[in-house]
Amino acid sequence: MNLSRLKAETSGSKLTDAKGKEKAKDVLPTLEGLLSIRDYTGAITLLKFQKSTGTADIGTGLWLAYAAFHNGDYETARKEYENMTKVESCHPDVWSNLGCCYFMLGMYDEAKSAAEKGPRSRLQNRLLFHLAEKSGDHDTLMTHHQNLQNVLEDQLSLAAMNYLRTHYHAAIDIYKKLSQDNRDMLALNVYSAMCYHKLDYYDVSQEMLATYVQMHPDSIMATNLKACNNYRLYSGKAAEAELKQLMDQLSSNYVFGQEIIKHNLVIFRSGDGALQVLPGLIGIIPEAKLNLAIYHLKHSNVDEGYALLKDMAPTIPLEYILKAVALTLVGQEHNSSEHLKLAQQYFQLVGSSVSECDTIPGRQCMISYLFLREEYENAMVYLNSIKGFFFNEDTFNFNFGQAKAMLGQYAEAQEAFLQIASETLKNNYLYISWLARCYIMNRKPEKAWELYMKMETTAESFNLLQLIANDCYRMGQFLHAAQAFDLLERLDPCPEYWDGKKGACIGVLQLVIAGQEPQHSLTEIVQLLQRTQQPQAELILKAISKWVRDTRMLSPQR
Amino acid sequence: MDPGKVKLLQNQPYDESVEVSDAEEVVSTNPTPRMSKPQSGIEEEEDGGVEYPRDGSVPQASGMMYEDEEEDEETNEEEESEEEQDNGGIQQTLTGGYDPNEYENLQVSPEIRELFKHISRYTPQNINLDCRLIPFVPEYIPAIGDIDAFIKVTRPDGAGDRLGLTVLDEPSTKQSDPHVLDLQLRTHAKQSLEKPAPVHNIKNPEAESKTLDSWIENIKELHRQKPATNVHYTRNMPDIETLMQEWPSDFVESLKEVGLPNAELDCNLEEFVDIMCGLLDIPVRGNRIHSLHVLFSLFMEFKNSQHFTNYIPPT
Repeated sequence: MNLSRLKAETSGSKLTDAKGKEKAKDVLPTLEGLLSIRDYTGAITLLKFQKSTGTADIGTGLWLAYAAFHNGDYETARKEYENMTKVESCHPDVWSNLGCCYFMLGMYDEAKSAAEKGPRSRLQNRLLFHLAEKSGDHDTLMTHHQNLQNVLEDQLSLAAMNYLRTHYHAAIDIYKKLSQDNRDMLALNVYSAMCYHKLDYYDVSQEMLATYVQMHPDSIMATNLKACNNYRLYSGKAAEAELKQLMDQLSSNYVFGQEIIKHNLVIFRSGDGALQVLPGLIGIIPEAKLNLAIYHLKHSNVDEGYALLKDMAPTIPLEYILKAVALTLVGQEHNSSEHLKLAQQYFQLVGSSVSECDTIPGRQCMISYLFLREEYENAMVYLNSIKGFFFNEDTFNFNFGQAKAMLGQYAEAQEAFLQIASETLKNNYLYISWLARCYIMNRKPEKAWELYMKMETTAESFNLLQLIANDCYRMGQFLHAAQAFDLLERLDPCPEYWDGKKGACIGVLQLVIAGQEPQHSLTEIVQLLQRTQQPQAELILKAISKWVRDTRMLSPQR
Repeated sequence: MDPGKVKLLQNQPYDESVEVSDAEEVVSTNPTPRMSKPQSGIEEEEDGGVEYPRDGSVPQASGMMYEDEEEDEETNEEEESEEEQDNGGIQQTLTGGYDPNEYENLQVSPEIRELFKHISRYTPQNINLDCRLIPFVPEYIPAIGDIDAFIKVTRPDGAGDRLGLTVLDEPSTKQSDPHVLDLQLRTHAKQSLEKPAPVHNIKNPEAESKTLDSWIENIKELHRQKPATNVHYTRNMPDIETLMQEWPSDFVESLKEVGLPNAELDCNLEEFVDIMCGLLDIPVRGNRIHSLHVLFSLFMEFKNSQHFTNYIPPT
């Protein structure tokens, strides 16, 4: 009953709403009112208006800086505070506030000197604590760590530090403890959700986030996190839909968090627009550089990708993996064993680490490491362990197929190769040659021949022809061997090819006599032999026609 | 001895011999798959300087053997040719290579048998294919931002805000339009302003149709709030409601005949205003502007009246 009445009220509220609006409009917004709904643009407008009408007081500048800071406009806030510090009677707290602006703008040296000019305060300690982390000054970090007190802000600052240093569990512990005593502090749930996201617990992250999103459906950070979880759990499309919905609600002049949204839209669209968007975000969004490198590596722009990663000292597994991947590709492209060795080291480091050895990326690292060391049998153990996750993943199937083929297990190799969908990979000579070998080993030489027929005439197609000629010969598939050697001989009249063709043609004869090849195949080889102006060819042709005559004579008698 | 039985006996050791890991052992019992001889030196492919791995250690097929052994094998085979054939066949379906011994007993002329030797005379190359790791490039990483580290400016009044605690420290998605708010503040300001309102512009209205629409909507809203301009009449004027009363019927009748005076009437503007106001019972005393304001207000009232919009005057 209550529910329906409530509903009736909301549905009928259009009229009253309109009236209410008029009433509300009569009353001009107040600073406190605007701040309480976090309408900082409104607050700044109001404050600026007060300034222009001369109704401002000393506090106006401080409020203006406060509103600008929380609006994400650190530059304006910095300027306001800087102006204040030039006045003799400047409030000492301004220094720490100015330090915060510098910090947010990435001006760490300025931040430090500004913070040190102010009086000791908890904010100052927190600021210096995080500055020490940025400069990698361990001793100072510890000093400021010890100065942190058992109060909300300090503890939360510590938790944020743990997050930055990838100690996600430690951060979660702090948030859990604080949440127990402060049930109304819903933002802490979002922080925990962020930690869980980083730990790859995307569904837990989603759960932690639910309450907050329900209460604040228009929150940028929470919605973005939700979208990121969706991206990992489902697809880029699901993630993009989440963000799109929020974007439509945004005021046109909304600037906060726009970089992160722009960045993530590229990610959700699997790299679409990466080259236009990501370079501008390097230095603003830490992931932008890595993602740009990933884009290059995915698109075979090996050198561009490597250039981005070359000077990066990896700290987290992902950075090690990326660097190892880049080193591998560069090593392969430029034939540099030095790069490949380093790649092996990085792969082994991640793959055998306690934290990664049982993750999929960790297993991929071991596969890469063993593969590069040409230990295919060992690599196969790891390949099999993650096969279930990658049954239709091209990269996986390509590596799996090659390893299987190296181990002589051509049927499984062929199956893996045939699952590859990427046209780029399928047009790669590496793929074509391996598949051709699998076909021949699996007694389907005609399929290998088809692969050759589809290729344009290049050095690679010549190589494939050699592969087909020799592999078919080895396997006793003489008809295709003969055809291949015949083509080779025509392209390059060297005696070796004639030897191969001769042997293969006689091989066909042998097969026909043994009843393993239809008689009309002889017509084929007769044509092939007639092309060669060699006395031996004549001899063979004679022998063949004699045999044909003899069998014809014999067969009616039987 | 029954050849079938011989076969059976011979089969078993060969099957077992496959299991032996020592390559030489396997080779020696497995007759001559010459085609899988590792041709370690032969490498004709020179595309793009790719070096193929050349070590023969890669077990491509279990029937590997070395050239010098081959000779011995062939002599052995000849002795055991009858039995070897089938066994060899079993082995070869496993490894799949060509085995000339399989065809030893074909009934052919010596001439053709001589030709068959050419098959083994050519040694096919064992082409080593490049085995290249396709690295697993990690998926793109979405950014979720940093956690609030409570490095933020404090409220000037020292009051605690709950930013970052009960609610994330981020601006609400609904922000006032600064220009609209500014105009609003100006409208309501009691004192005169030093500076005129800045003129806002939208740089690319086609791309920002949303911006443009919300701007128009906001300005409309602003104007709606503005109180209508009040004219304080110096004299009492009859209210609009009274003026809207019907004319007497005989007056309407005569209007039908003579019609209302139009602008062609030979008189000046002031006189025309006086005439029209007279017809409409609007007093004209002193300030004609006030009288005209009443006239147009009356017109507006008729124009906006639901009743008269639908009214079609009889012709």
